[in-house]
Amino acid sequence: MALDRQQEFVLRTLEERDIRFIRLWFTDVLGFLKSVAVAPAELEGAFAEGIGFDGSAIQGFARVYEADMLAKPDPSTFQVLPWRAESPGVARMFCDILMPDGTPSFADPRYVLKRALGKAADLGFTFYTHPEVEFFLLKGQPEDGREPEPVDQGGYFDHTPHSTAHDFRRNAIMMLESMGISVEYSHHEGAPGQQEIDLRYADALTTADNIMTFRLIMKEVALEQGVWASFMPKPFTEYPGSGMHTHMSLFEGDRNAFYEPGAEFQLSKVGRAFIAGLLRHAPEITAVCNQWVNSYKRLWGGVGASAGAGGEAPSYVCWGHNNRSALIRVPMYKPQKGHATRIEFRSLDTACNPYLAFAAILGAGLKGIEQGYELPAGAEDDVWALTSAERRVLGIEPLPQSLDEAIQAMERSELLPEILGEHVYDFFLRNKRAEWEDYRRQVTDYERKRLISVL
Amino acid sequence: MSEPWSADRRPSLIGRLARLGFTDATRAQRLLADSEADVGDTLIDALGGTADPDLALSGLLMLLERSQEPTELLNALDDDLDVQERLLTVLGVSTALAEHLARHPDHWRVLAGPEALHRPTGRSLRESLLTSVGADPADVAPVAGLTGMDGQVALRVAYRRRLLHLAGRDLTGVAALGEVAAELADLAAAALEAGLAIARAETPEATGCKLAIIGMGKCGGRELNYVSDVDVIFVAEDGLDDAALRAAAKLAAGVMRVCSASTPEGSLWEVDAALRPEGRSGPLVRTLASHRAYYERWAKTWEFQALLKARPVAGDPELGQAYLDAVMPMVWKAAAGESFVEDVQAMRRRVEANVAPAEAERQLKLAPGGLRDVEFSVQLLQLVHGRADDGIRSSNTLEALAELSQGGYVGRDDAAALASAYRFLRRVEHLLQLYRLRRTHLVPDDEEGLRRLGRALGLRTDPIGEFTALWRRHARGVRRIHEKLFYRPLLLAVARLPGEETRLTPEAARARLTALGFNDPAGALRHIEALSSGMSRRAAIQRTLLPVMLGWFADAPDPDAGLLGFRQVSDTLGSTPWYLRLLRDEVTVAERMARLLASSRYLTDLLLRAPEAVTMLGSNAELAPRSYDLLSAEALAAVQRRADDDRRPHESAEEAVGAVRALRRRELLRVGVSDLLGLADVRTVGEALTDIATVTIEAALQTAINKIETERRGPLPTRFAVVAMGRFGGHELGYGSDADVMFVHDPLPGTDERDAQLAAHAVAEELRRLLALPAPDPALMIDPNLRPEGRQGPLVRTLASYAAYYQRWSASWESQALLRADPLIGDPVLAVRFREMIDPIRWPEDGIDETTVRDIRRLKARMEAERLPRGVDPRVHIKLGPGGLSDVEWVAQLLQLQHAHAVPGLRTTRTLAALDAAVQAGLLTVADATALGDAWQLATRLRGAIMLVRGRPSDLLPTDHHRDRTAVTRVLGYSATGAMLEDWRRCARRARAVTERVFYGSVS
Repeated sequence: MALDRQQEFVLRTLEERDIRFIRLWFTDVLGFLKSVAVAPAELEGAFAEGIGFDGSAIQGFARVYEADMLAKPDPSTFQVLPWRAESPGVARMFCDILMPDGTPSFADPRYVLKRALGKAADLGFTFYTHPEVEFFLLKGQPEDGREPEPVDQGGYFDHTPHSTAHDFRRNAIMMLESMGISVEYSHHEGAPGQQEIDLRYADALTTADNIMTFRLIMKEVALEQGVWASFMPKPFTEYPGSGMHTHMSLFEGDRNAFYEPGAEFQLSKVGRAFIAGLLRHAPEITAVCNQWVNSYKRLWGGVGASAGAGGEAPSYVCWGHNNRSALIRVPMYKPQKGHATRIEFRSLDTACNPYLAFAAILGAGLKGIEQGYELPAGAEDDVWALTSAERRVLGIEPLPQSLDEAIQAMERSELLPEILGEHVYDFFLRNKRAEWEDYRRQVTDYERKRLISVL
Repeated sequence: MSEPWSADRRPSLIGRLARLGFTDATRAQRLLADSEADVGDTLIDALGGTADPDLALSGLLMLLERSQEPTELLNALDDDLDVQERLLTVLGVSTALAEHLARHPDHWRVLAGPEALHRPTGRSLRESLLTSVGADPADVAPVAGLTGMDGQVALRVAYRRRLLHLAGRDLTGVAALGEVAAELADLAAAALEAGLAIARAETPEATGCKLAIIGMGKCGGRELNYVSDVDVIFVAEDGLDDAALRAAAKLAAGVMRVCSASTPEGSLWEVDAALRPEGRSGPLVRTLASHRAYYERWAKTWEFQALLKARPVAGDPELGQAYLDAVMPMVWKAAAGESFVEDVQAMRRRVEANVAPAEAERQLKLAPGGLRDVEFSVQLLQLVHGRADDGIRSSNTLEALAELSQGGYVGRDDAAALASAYRFLRRVEHLLQLYRLRRTHLVPDDEEGLRRLGRALGLRTDPIGEFTALWRRHARGVRRIHEKLFYRPLLLAVARLPGEETRLTPEAARARLTALGFNDPAGALRHIEALSSGMSRRAAIQRTLLPVMLGWFADAPDPDAGLLGFRQVSDTLGSTPWYLRLLRDEVTVAERMARLLASSRYLTDLLLRAPEAVTMLGSNAELAPRSYDLLSAEALAAVQRRADDDRRPHESAEEAVGAVRALRRRELLRVGVSDLLGLADVRTVGEALTDIATVTIEAALQTAINKIETERRGPLPTRFAVVAMGRFGGHELGYGSDADVMFVHDPLPGTDERDAQLAAHAVAEELRRLLALPAPDPALMIDPNLRPEGRQGPLVRTLASYAAYYQRWSASWESQALLRADPLIGDPVLAVRFREMIDPIRWPEDGIDETTVRDIRRLKARMEAERLPRGVDPRVHIKLGPGGLSDVEWVAQLLQLQHAHAVPGLRTTRTLAALDAAVQAGLLTVADATALGDAWQLATRLRGAIMLVRGRPSDLLPTDHHRDRTAVTRVLGYSATGAMLEDWRRCARRARAVTERVFYGSVS
């Protein structure tokens, strides 16, 4: 049908603000941002029919029987890009990926999330998320294999006067805000050069779009300042990795479905079942939440070193009330803030594909609600400090310890193909198997250092 | 309570009331007794004649009680029967107006005197409402003397008074529906004007600021209801500065508030300004220039469509006219836009999908056959043809319908029927809304409400029953007509009948066909012309049928092919009397034929070769596959007839096979149609196609034997049989499958074995020759390559030779192939012996050893790597890809080789039966068998659907993204291609997992 109001708004804004290029963004299955630029004149057609492209050139889109695809911009995501402020300007929109007959493509991660949200909506729920994004600022441009160097030696909450990091966060936040992405907190994280920026609560699709934008903005701002922003989960052996702890809740209309006054931790039955679902399915969704070989070095890298010291990466499948060593934490309840009842899922890292990760998390939680899973007892101790025998007694399982284990758990899953769709599920598995095989072939520095002189 | 009879034996008051139609006579009697007014017998009789006597009585008594001079009213009612009729009729329909009268008893006077019959002009309505709020109608920009609540109340009282006047004429039949709807629009315009006067008085800063109010929707089209939202757009004069524009916006907001605010006198209606540029997010008021700029640059087809109904209704008339002059010329230019065809199709889908709202069956507006259907149909036709013809652009539904009819865009009878239904539905809507002056489109479900409605419409004997029947009839009529509305005029466009009616021009017809999804509108028009022109009975019947069939074609994957096919069938069968009868009387036949022709190339070809087969489309019983016995008897009889005649053996043999192949064509059509229509499941289709192939080969064999015997001048010296192998042996043939066979013979005792071999070979060769003769039907390919030694081996072997071969040489794959061997055709004694010979090989005692299992696994693993065509993604190969047919079949076959000796149920050639038996025997879990069975059945259905749609077989999921894949998707009943692909991937993944575990023995 004809253009709707939002599409018209976009067309008018292009005119008024003298915008000559519109970047149409979409995301491949691995979470890399893809972009195609169109001139304003083509946009009307793009709204009506989408822009054709060769899907086989995009990771995970390549159905061999389906090379031609369409990218159809979502006008509600229209934003002028602030780092190209000079006129003529540049704007962006996220796209939905369609088949040539106009039906949604099952290969589109955004559609995967939309379907998951649709399923939640069928049950009467809206899914809200609030991510805490960590990343490193490094000196110069990264080069293959060279040891990266953090921009500073600051630590947790350090206020480093006139530092790169300080300027960086200020500029970055201004840019985020100018693109309509609200920032809750920002501070220096525990490791040298490590930053944390928390985004405001929003529905999961918006959050996922925001994370895609966020990663790009951080890289752009860093470049302007001659530094490099990296979302690699674990760039340094000796420092903690970068995670994306995500707070989440379900709403039924205006009501927080996780909140029940008087219940233990004010946590409703729905909330408890959601956690139970996440716990039961945590191993099989790990490959999606922590999709790189390197992700597992964050999940497991700190265990020995920081046992008892409160490292931030959770490695064991359990939950706890305000327990930072648990995979799922139920934060301290604040009176008069019933709508703020939420849970925090802590294994996720920033290098995930946020659309797929949110879909997987939501799907696992909904499964718990649908099937009425019972929530096991919460963990009260620091799980890292327990002996493995103690953990066994308490029934606390480890998360997969490597990408290989995660792949195997994913292969056994019936839930994940349901959530991701068969196409994405299949592509993802094949791609990750290939990554694992490629990694396994590598002879590392570690081996050379340890072995070459003695063997 | 018993009432005494009075002296003159008149029935008691209560009995009389009951007979007059009061539903609660006791209450009525009490009310009358309690009332101070003296309501006489005549008046009581008259009350009984109203739609709802109880309602009318309460209203009347309340009015009399509140009235200062009840006697004057009673006298007027007695003296003037017209007043009596008008007042009582209104009171019998509307409690809201009764309440108004109770508050303003004096207002009954608008129903009296000659004025009561008079239709007010828009100007007089405007004057009367302006005066009511103390404004001077003569002013260019009248300002009210009353403001705030006083103004709002005064406006409502005056408005209701005019409404009462209108209801009096409406309900007594003085004003026709069109007049009522137009006057309601005028009244709304007057109220807006008065509202504007109040707003001016309340907004001094807007003094001198020119504002025009443009009516949209039903208000603009002068076809308003008693109560509905009034759609408007506000226009300010050019050259206002920001402050003045803000003042104008305040003024506009004031108008909206004055009309919609609730007061002790109720509210008028909501004023809805959402049709303005940018909708609710745009500024409430724009200048003329800003409107013009917006429509020039931004507005889209549907917005122009909304503008069609635009009409200045209040405020500055010159400004309003200037707005219209500026905007209207753009409206139809826009209809030529690129997205026009899509817009039309989207609208058409909206009309036809007609998502049923809640309480659908009681909905006047949105239910199928409701008001929305009529309005949409009319607008759609205006949209398709209005840009080329400025004579059909009226904003009023009834007028537009009349124009469309005059222009030949809609058939005259259709237009008349549609208009009459529209009037009926609108009258019902008005009555419903009058009751409480509420915005409603729901027909009541209580007896009282329905009764009042029926009686108000003049249905007195059985108000509820008659009303319901009438309503359903109209709704059905609308439904049927709007289906044909688009198609019928296409026939007139090409008709050669002397022009009694104006008709669609060829250009308009082509535009409409394109909008309906035909790719070659010129060709389509030619077919329509050929099918419908002429004076023959055939043309007459086809003229009736085509409008409906065109709709079915338009809904199917390939409308052009459908229409072409229909023309071809008609050309062949045209004047056959039974064909015409069939088409005329059997809707099912026509609908199924349309569906078949527009979705399946395979079936279209079959049907065109033997069009008389359309008869079978009429009933599901006819479409059920014929039993093997029936077919076999028919085929062998055909062969026998020709063997008995005394022509040359060569000719009669070919003719016999020709007859059998015709039978095969007919049966393939029968099975294919059942399949396409979802009447037969996968197993049934496989069995039926196998039966057809069996009968065909059997008849060809008999013919071949007859011929060879004639040539040899003696009976065949050997028993001969054909062994079905592969999918054929498994009774799982598809439409395009080759028939895998082996030929076996067994020389009769005392005959020369060499001679027998020669004769048997001759029979086999003749059989192949006969079936390979060029013919128009889909070929039945005989593939004998599964025989021992493949192509190198002899075509025919004796039973003994087979036995010797299998004993000495047989490899594991040959035992496996024998699992599917079923000697279906030929000598029954030989068939039994053949089975006895192979049973120990295919179902070996104690199963198979580890080495053999490993060989079979390795063979399959190699095949997975090598047998796939080069460059094909294995995952789209539904036969050889992971989880495909081959996976499932090999799982079943491995279990059979291992366990059939112990489990009798496994001794079957059928894949699904073997899986069932494996579950029974505990060799396979139910879940695993389901995964395998689901994948196998879906793959089989996909292959079938691909063949039906394309007419060519393929083992690949359809890869092109145009017609074929969409068509396959629709034939299989999926909502979208993505859903079909997902379903296949899911089934295949699960089946593959079972294969990995059960067949390859891998542990995960």
